[in-house]
Amino acid sequence: MGEVLCISVACGACCGGTGRAISASCPGTPSVSEENHTPELTDFSDVPCPVRALPPQWYHTVQVRRIRSLRARSNSDPLQGKNLGQGLQWQRKGLPFGNASSYLNLEKLGEGSYATVYKGISRINGQLVALKVISMKAEEGVPFTAIREASLLKGLKHANVVLLHDIIQTKETLTFVFEYVHTDLSQYMAQHPGGLLPYNVRLFMFQLLRGLAYIHHQHILHRDLKPQNLLISYLGELKLADFGLARAKSIPSQTYSSEVVTLWYRPPDVLLGATDYSADLDIWGAGCIFIEMLQGYPAFSGVTDVFEQLEKIWSVIGTPTEDSWPGVSLLPHYKTEWLTLYESQPFGSIWDRLARVMGAENLAQKMLKGCPRERISAEDALLHKFFSTLPCQIHQLTDVRSIFTVPGLSLKPEMRDLFFSHQKGSHHKPW
Amino acid sequence: MNATSSVSSPDEEKLKKHFKVTRFIMEAGVKLGMRSIPIATACTIYHKFFNEICFDDYDPYLVAMSAIYLAGKVEEQHLRTRDIINVCHRYLNPGSEPLEVDSKFWELRDSIVQCELLMLRLLNFRVSFQHPHKFLLHYLLSLKNWMNRHSWDRSPIATASWALLRDSYHSDLCLRYEAQHIAVAVLYFALQCYGVEVPSTDSAENQWWQVFSVDVTKIIINNVISDLIHVYTLDTEIL
Repeated sequence: MGEVLCISVACGACCGGTGRAISASCPGTPSVSEENHTPELTDFSDVPCPVRALPPQWYHTVQVRRIRSLRARSNSDPLQGKNLGQGLQWQRKGLPFGNASSYLNLEKLGEGSYATVYKGISRINGQLVALKVISMKAEEGVPFTAIREASLLKGLKHANVVLLHDIIQTKETLTFVFEYVHTDLSQYMAQHPGGLLPYNVRLFMFQLLRGLAYIHHQHILHRDLKPQNLLISYLGELKLADFGLARAKSIPSQTYSSEVVTLWYRPPDVLLGATDYSADLDIWGAGCIFIEMLQGYPAFSGVTDVFEQLEKIWSVIGTPTEDSWPGVSLLPHYKTEWLTLYESQPFGSIWDRLARVMGAENLAQKMLKGCPRERISAEDALLHKFFSTLPCQIHQLTDVRSIFTVPGLSLKPEMRDLFFSHQKGSHHKPW
Repeated sequence: MNATSSVSSPDEEKLKKHFKVTRFIMEAGVKLGMRSIPIATACTIYHKFFNEICFDDYDPYLVAMSAIYLAGKVEEQHLRTRDIINVCHRYLNPGSEPLEVDSKFWELRDSIVQCELLMLRLLNFRVSFQHPHKFLLHYLLSLKNWMNRHSWDRSPIATASWALLRDSYHSDLCLRYEAQHIAVAVLYFALQCYGVEVPSTDSAENQWWQVFSVDVTKIIINNVISDLIHVYTLDTEIL
């Protein structure tokens, strides 16, 4: 083969060689040997001293300059003849971003869709962070969900979207450093069973829609809304997270892969096989979460099968017809004979707490329309009368300002916290 | 590859090289069954990469292969490294046997993956782009409704502007102009090429392109078009 093979093989040998040299020839610091460990950040926190002593290039196997300078030299010496004084100099200058040793991980928080998430602390500024450690497969490189999440989040700066602080690359892992948010809506609802305080639901819902309005304006869909992906801070700030499935929204002619949203929060058009969804996809999910917050249990839950899920939805909004939803019969999974023909029900008769809060039933009904084109947009939903009791300054905030910067606005204690506050642990005090 | 012309400047040589490699991306992309958006993304990644760093340090064809691979991930049209290697090998060595699956093959695959990581790092993970395609599609649909049906049917405006847009990726136009401006300019150029006039242009308060994009100016359109013409000039010089 022509120049391609020669040069690229040389480059491959060089890049690969660098990594191998690092792990193979560091007898003085055995615990850093990346070969013997699963690539988790625990390795680094377990051995703070050796890590601190290492110059940054240990973790920067793909840094441009470094590869260039390595080319002519031997791969067996990991420091490439540079004296350690350089490392000391770097220490004195302070810890840089983009470096694994700048963060200590504290505890494992959970396994995500393609990564493990740790709670960590920044050694640069002492802030708590969430470290999303993505392990890379040798054959496939960086997972596409990670690429998309990072490339989309890079362009997003909003109070209701989780903030991506930093990206760290090591030989086998890629770590995204996010702001740390202490809980998520799923946990919050589990701690407060039986439905949340309508006042708090209003604040959460406003923030959810505010975040959605922002990302939709940037032509991005979240595509995977569920309570687990909505982070809740101590103050009650809600942040959209987990953009692994999110994508840039294109013109409707584009089709997307249809397997995206968790079944419970999936709109009927997607269940019927539609691939031309748009912002309306997220609105349905947000509507489901709205009902779940008020009512205390998921709106359309407990099913695993697409058709059961559809039946469940039809039993509330009515079995669709060409009159109520033009074009529905053309969708791939549409059946001409549904088991039962349902009439649409008032939402308040199914979810009683919706009827008891002013405007809630109407808003839910506007969000959960079968026909995607009829669903209210996030921007319009923010102006819905359900939110009319909130101070009007809330609509004038700049993107990065939290709604809690509006005077007098704060999360109220949930009923359960009022009853049990003296018995509970300290982590509930802030409410 | 040998220099085709001894008189051209080093800059011109670089442009020619990029022209060849991006054409390689497009042809390999077509063979791999890639849609136009992933191909456009691959070319944009390629140009952005060489915009950032010195040309001589990296094999452009390796960068191109990694750009194709990365674009597949970004645009959700996943490609296998193996297919990319085989298609590219065939392109660069026409008529040769497929590569043996031996250590050399694995090394090549590893370099594609390594290079992908390098690109992500260099581009700081900013690999989602707004392409002119959707704007052009929208403009074409609007213009079609506005135009006289017969004059529209007689000249292949849609095909021509689409081809112009595709060819624009032979140079780094996509980095230097906004997506909407490129879309307007290729449409403008296509209309000019076929001598098609947009109805009531003279009496209108705003030019048709001002309706599509508020901040585009005649100067920008002219610049895009002159850059496009330069791309076609390069094409004739190379062959």
